[in-house]
Amino acid sequence: MNYKKILMASAILLSVSFSGCKKERIFNEPGNLVPKTVDQDPSLSSIYVNGTQLHAEAFGNKDSAMIIVLHGGPGSDYRYMLNCKEFANQGYSVVFYDQRGAGLSKRHSGDSYSIQLMIDDLDAVINYYRTSSTQKVFILGHSWGAMLAAIYINAGNANKIDGLLLAEPGGLVWEDVMKYTSSIQSFGFFSEELNDAVYLDQFISAKEDEHAVLDYKRLLMVEGSEPKNDPTGNTDGYQMIWRLGAVSYNSLFEIGKRENPNWTINLHLFTKKVLFVYSERNKYYGLGHAQKVSSPFPNVELFKNLDAGHDMISPSNGWSHFYPKALSYFNSLKH
Amino acid sequence: MTNLKKAILIVGVFLFINKSHSQNINWASLTNENKHVTNLNLNWDYASTVGIYYGCKLNTKPPIIFGIDYSVPVGSKVFDDFKSKIGIQMQLIKFQNFRLSTKIQGIFRKYEQPIVRLLNFGSDFSGAFGYYKSKWFVATEFGFDKAIVTYFKHSSRYKNSFTMVNDGWYEPATGGNFYYGLLTGISFKKHDVYLKIGKVVTQDFKTTPLIPYYAQLGYNFKINKMIRLKK
Repeated sequence: MNYKKILMASAILLSVSFSGCKKERIFNEPGNLVPKTVDQDPSLSSIYVNGTQLHAEAFGNKDSAMIIVLHGGPGSDYRYMLNCKEFANQGYSVVFYDQRGAGLSKRHSGDSYSIQLMIDDLDAVINYYRTSSTQKVFILGHSWGAMLAAIYINAGNANKIDGLLLAEPGGLVWEDVMKYTSSIQSFGFFSEELNDAVYLDQFISAKEDEHAVLDYKRLLMVEGSEPKNDPTGNTDGYQMIWRLGAVSYNSLFEIGKRENPNWTINLHLFTKKVLFVYSERNKYYGLGHAQKVSSPFPNVELFKNLDAGHDMISPSNGWSHFYPKALSYFNSLKH
Repeated sequence: MTNLKKAILIVGVFLFINKSHSQNINWASLTNENKHVTNLNLNWDYASTVGIYYGCKLNTKPPIIFGIDYSVPVGSKVFDDFKSKIGIQMQLIKFQNFRLSTKIQGIFRKYEQPIVRLLNFGSDFSGAFGYYKSKWFVATEFGFDKAIVTYFKHSSRYKNSFTMVNDGWYEPATGGNFYYGLLTGISFKKHDVYLKIGKVVTQDFKTTPLIPYYAQLGYNFKINKMIRLKK
């Protein structure tokens, strides 16, 4: 067989066939596989603070006591926490924002992240929406968002916050964070979940600045498992989010591993009551871990959210228990 | 011409021009009588997989083996993901006991999970250089696995979340990984047993897959050509 002739014929056939193709979609183009971010879509609500553009919204009377809602991740977004808009109907100003590099907020390079930057962003968002120095400010943080809230307090901001609701922060010392995240992310070597996560690597790879692809790939890894296999007891399986921030997640996690932080040193200075919520169905959390993580705060009320998993704020059954308790807590501190 | 036809054409081109070493042949133990090579392999190939291979030795000098292989990841759903390859492996250069072989394979693979189903046409180019004796061999290999064109079909679960998501063929190439490693094996009679291990890096040389290694434990069984006996 004359391979040179075959090669030439194939090359000609190939070039002819390519010329007649309809246009394919561009892999890294924003809006194809994941939604556009605020710097790419001007119709999205956003604020410019601390040198970045954040996807953010506020509901309710802007002069009322403010509840800042902090989503988990790092790198998730506030879409799954939109149930918290209900607090606006109860006389609160409710502020949501997608953290730097997460959700629909602007993307940044991995080496630009630091914990201090996340603290400064939160401080800037509070200052952006706060209408007076007497306006009370509460934080409602979930998962990583609860960690960020505690980190903010620990960084010398105890006097700026009037109430703190923490829902299942992984840990406030790095050892606890690793122990918790390792347990919820452990897969059997031959499991479908592990294979779904790693087999993907031969189909999709991305450069460090190809955020749309990186975020899409992270979505497939995080949200691609079957709900019944979720060890954290999540009910809906797929958590409603806009877009995950892969670089944000990786960078902040790497900082934690590198710096081995302890974010509890100054938490004793926060003497107001903390409402600390853990869920009934998250088998890796439980009362013991809740007591351990919340112990640096001098004034804590633990609340077990019945019939809920880690995503307690998102699904209806978790929210139906969470909301009245949270509202009662904020009302007790409002005046 | 549709993208599917285009992708099939790419694989077709590889089929005709390929020189390949998908499975690992001990070239020094390959005899003129060996006509067929069958193979069973256990892998870490991005995931834990099992595979089978069939190769047919063509009547050429130097020896060329045309083959197809198929592998699936283990897990509770066995056939939701798979990888199939078709190509030719060929010994290029022989100097004393040193041999250089190459491969180019066409790949068709599928990945499915609750958010998306991916169908990909790709290629796998590699070369191996090593020392081959009739009873054993040791070699190094270097290759490039390219996901050339991929079809994305999203589930209603993701479409409910992101209604604007676009299904269809995507380019430019959605992925590409280099790999390099060592392989060694022993041969006896019609059998080869070999092991290869190596590392995988993505095409930008800055990032790696989640588990950046590959490994394969394989077994070849060679079948001789049928000889008609004269009465």
